[in-house]
Amino acid sequence: MQEKQSSREMLNYYLNKSYSDAIEGKKRGELVCWASSIAPCEFCETMGIHVLYPENHAAGIAARHGAEKMIQYAEGKGYSLDICSYARINLAYMDLQSCVAENIPLPDFVLVCNNICEVLIKWYENIAHELNIPFILIDTPYNYEDEVSERSIDYIVAQFEHAIEMMEEITGKKFDYERYDEVMKMALDSSYWWLKSMELAAAKPSPLKGFDIFNYMALIVCMRGKSGCRDTFKKLAEELQERIDNGIAAFKEGEKFRIMWDGIACWPYLSHNFKTLKAFGMNMTGSTYPTAWALNYKKGDLRTMAKAYTSIANNLSLNAQIDLRVGTVDTYHCEGVTYHMNRSCKTMDFLQHEMQQKVAERTGAPFISFDGDQSDPRNFSKAQFETRIQGLAEMMEQKQAQEEK
Amino acid sequence: MYTMGIDVGSASSKVVILTDGKDIKASQVIQAGTGSSGPARALDEVLKKSDLVLGDMDFVVATGYGRFTCDSARKQVSEISCHAKGIFYFIPTARTIIDIGGQDAKAIRIDEKGIVKQFFMNDKCAAGTGRFLEVMSKVLEVPLQEMGSYHDRAAEASSVSSTCTVFAESEVISQLSLGIPKENIIAGVHKSTANKACGLVSRAGVTEDIVMSGGVAQNPGVVKAISDELGKPVVVAPYPQTIGALGAALYAYEELIKTKE
Amino acid sequence: MNTIENIILQCKEATANPKKAIDDFYKETGKKSVGCFPLYCPEEIVHAAGMLPVGIWGGQVDLNMVRSILPAFACSIMQSVMEFQLQSVYDSLVAVIIPSPCDTLKAIGQKWSRENVPCIQFVPPHNRQLKAARVFLKEEYKAIRDKLEAIIGEAISDEAIQESIKVYNEHRQVMRKFANVAAKYPDIIDPVSRHEVMKSAFFMRKEKHTALVKALISELNTKEVKPWGGLKTVVSGIMLEPTSVIEVFKEFNIAITADDLAQESRQYRVDIPEGDDVFDAMAGMWQEMYGCSLAFETDKSRVKMLREMKEKYEADAVIICMMKFCDPEEFDYPIIKKEMEYHDIPLLQIEIDQQVQYVEQIRTRIQSFTEILQESK
Repeated sequence: MQEKQSSREMLNYYLNKSYSDAIEGKKRGELVCWASSIAPCEFCETMGIHVLYPENHAAGIAARHGAEKMIQYAEGKGYSLDICSYARINLAYMDLQSCVAENIPLPDFVLVCNNICEVLIKWYENIAHELNIPFILIDTPYNYEDEVSERSIDYIVAQFEHAIEMMEEITGKKFDYERYDEVMKMALDSSYWWLKSMELAAAKPSPLKGFDIFNYMALIVCMRGKSGCRDTFKKLAEELQERIDNGIAAFKEGEKFRIMWDGIACWPYLSHNFKTLKAFGMNMTGSTYPTAWALNYKKGDLRTMAKAYTSIANNLSLNAQIDLRVGTVDTYHCEGVTYHMNRSCKTMDFLQHEMQQKVAERTGAPFISFDGDQSDPRNFSKAQFETRIQGLAEMMEQKQAQEEK
Repeated sequence: MYTMGIDVGSASSKVVILTDGKDIKASQVIQAGTGSSGPARALDEVLKKSDLVLGDMDFVVATGYGRFTCDSARKQVSEISCHAKGIFYFIPTARTIIDIGGQDAKAIRIDEKGIVKQFFMNDKCAAGTGRFLEVMSKVLEVPLQEMGSYHDRAAEASSVSSTCTVFAESEVISQLSLGIPKENIIAGVHKSTANKACGLVSRAGVTEDIVMSGGVAQNPGVVKAISDELGKPVVVAPYPQTIGALGAALYAYEELIKTKE
Repeated sequence: MNTIENIILQCKEATANPKKAIDDFYKETGKKSVGCFPLYCPEEIVHAAGMLPVGIWGGQVDLNMVRSILPAFACSIMQSVMEFQLQSVYDSLVAVIIPSPCDTLKAIGQKWSRENVPCIQFVPPHNRQLKAARVFLKEEYKAIRDKLEAIIGEAISDEAIQESIKVYNEHRQVMRKFANVAAKYPDIIDPVSRHEVMKSAFFMRKEKHTALVKALISELNTKEVKPWGGLKTVVSGIMLEPTSVIEVFKEFNIAITADDLAQESRQYRVDIPEGDDVFDAMAGMWQEMYGCSLAFETDKSRVKMLREMKEKYEADAVIICMMKFCDPEEFDYPIIKKEMEYHDIPLLQIEIDQQVQYVEQIRTRIQSFTEILQESK
């Protein structure tokens, strides 16, 4: 790794490394774990276990236009087209073990934290059942009230302790608490620089092309406990600061509009979506991603760690989720919001109506929603997306005109 | 002895008269289905053709969506069983049946005796059915019966959604306005239909010989697309539209024999 | 009318008119009712307050208002429940309790408008074999009791709950017995009647239902067991409704010999264990729960359980009643399918959609399935 490498180059280097390390490691008989995207990485990292993230993997397959084949295989096995397309792709991969992206090794155990949704539980239940492997679950009960309850934290902490026991059993090694200390420090550092670099995107004009967040995100998912992750986001923050200092904007022609994208990306259509937004002068400066991995807790304190992991956006009450989005629109100076009605993600869709109303009320920002899917290419219509984005542009245009008066 | 099979579908009515459970005396298809004058007209015309009257029929079985509204039938058998029986009559080596009708699509697995072992249906959504092709035919301004001939001229199949007819329609319109050749789009539409059908087939299990029936089987483009997707040969049953009615007539004959014993 | 017909009629009436059940109960006792959402709602707490726990299972209703607040791909049951709520159907309830084991119920609990009827939401833990999960759920149940007390302005003592647990455990045992006895008399207890006996439990106090079902069992046991010429099936899923779909079973002489339905036998599978601490005991029941798509188990014991049920009751087939858009159930299906195919057990899946008016498609599937089974017999 050379000093002069850009954050982009570092991103690609470390992402590839995370895959190749796992693939090579498996050949040497080292353990591999499949984990959900916001599962506590600290324990596996401490134990030297290679962790792979099926959500990242499925997104990569979809972005490389390999999703349909996997989805058809899964549906041929009896999986309904109603369930999450990441799950359909991954469950197909589990059988086929071949895809357009990396051919990742099968896991020796799985680690799930349902802070993003309950579907993970069923998806991984099937993986663990079919492969006959251990399932380590960190159940973060949904925070239906505006505050996280003490009983919730008690329960999560007990699960952290149980997870450590299970990993000791699986690896045959004792949990190294000193190493754990180092890992936590690194994870906290990575989260810090992730959020810091994302927050720099709030500058006007933004130094970051919003859609790049979708790319950088893969690294904060899969490598929080490693120095490469921290270093990459530190570098990104430096680059962004430099651009801000030199007045270099991401859009040379200037940002006409700054919008918030609510939901997951449409991986098979990233390029189309970006071009459409750009054609209307829109930069996506806001999203729910920055806060998702801005995990902050007191090093060594399992209670604050439990609170951090359970307080992810999807796991919060409706009121708290509204507050979060209002905060994002504010922080990133967004003038409009586009809501992704993601056919594969009921969690992010079923409160959309209430959120749209309240966020619009409190921020005054116009919004639109469009039908899409995170990774099933069949659930998207380019024409619909373009029409609706144009509608949003017109609404924001009118608003700008009115404000100038 | 004469037996009759009546297949009252959503989009068409078919009748077959069988002599001694072996020879097809006459058959008729009317492009009007349940709830219309179709069934009555089909019945009328097939009797005229064969120079017989309803009273000459020793047993009548009805099948299809509208089977329970058929007064002249003594028994109702599901279209799954009737399609299986009809196809097995012509092709005793058939083991996987793909039937795509006006409003539904089915994959049926049968054994060496022609008995149905498993079936999977899509009867809730237009994608992958005759209705899907109708919609596309209108948008493309190519008559349904000509769509098949365009298929072979296609350099490649364009990408058309197989989950939602409305999305697919919008895709086809976009592609037309982008100047993509019609034959490529039609190949894409056929591929999309095949996709949906093959999803059902995979659940039922694919064993040769694979035979297609139903109105859509008359579109050689769809047949080829399915064959390409499965990587196996696909045969179209003779008289694909009247297979169900034939199966019903065969069942009628079996019932007749049973009552005589 | 004989006793059996009379009892079934009472069950049918209770199920057909939940509002009447609530109003009549209020007239008789001066006590209100609490709506209990699926699944495995701690009704014992409501019962201990002397109130009527009423099942909230949606129903056949034109979906109009709900369309603007919920996308079309939410499960059928929650669609109708939300529609009913928007139509103020639930306004006479003093509160609703909403368990949230799945993503849809999590959202519904938040969407529930609290203007007229307060909502008490809670989350059953997934990591059930851990002691900490039991402690967590115990605290959740306690919180439900505290919130309900605050709403009704009356205390609900641990002792009262202990008594209610006894009533509910007795009911569970009687319902398990009913399922077994009804299996022997498909000629008397047809699929529609069976469903009505099961579902009516949600619209009257459990002690009343226990008495009815006990009487029904006694009467049945005096009848001659006749051989059944039709098919025998095990049905599995969240629920088998609406009645027009169950009528199709009846039409084709298909008996429901046993069920693994969340609305019916699943909730009676496990008794609340003995214990002085009522909330700990209630939490213990969830720990011991098995064979349900909402109860996390890497064993997926439901799969083996269905096979064993088929064998035990000498059923001809297993029928999956797939609640439209239910994620947990949809994930279980391919695993069940694989197992049934491996063991050569005929399996059919039908889609459950409460809004369905015309059952032609289901009829085709069931008729075809019947034809297949009869050919192989």
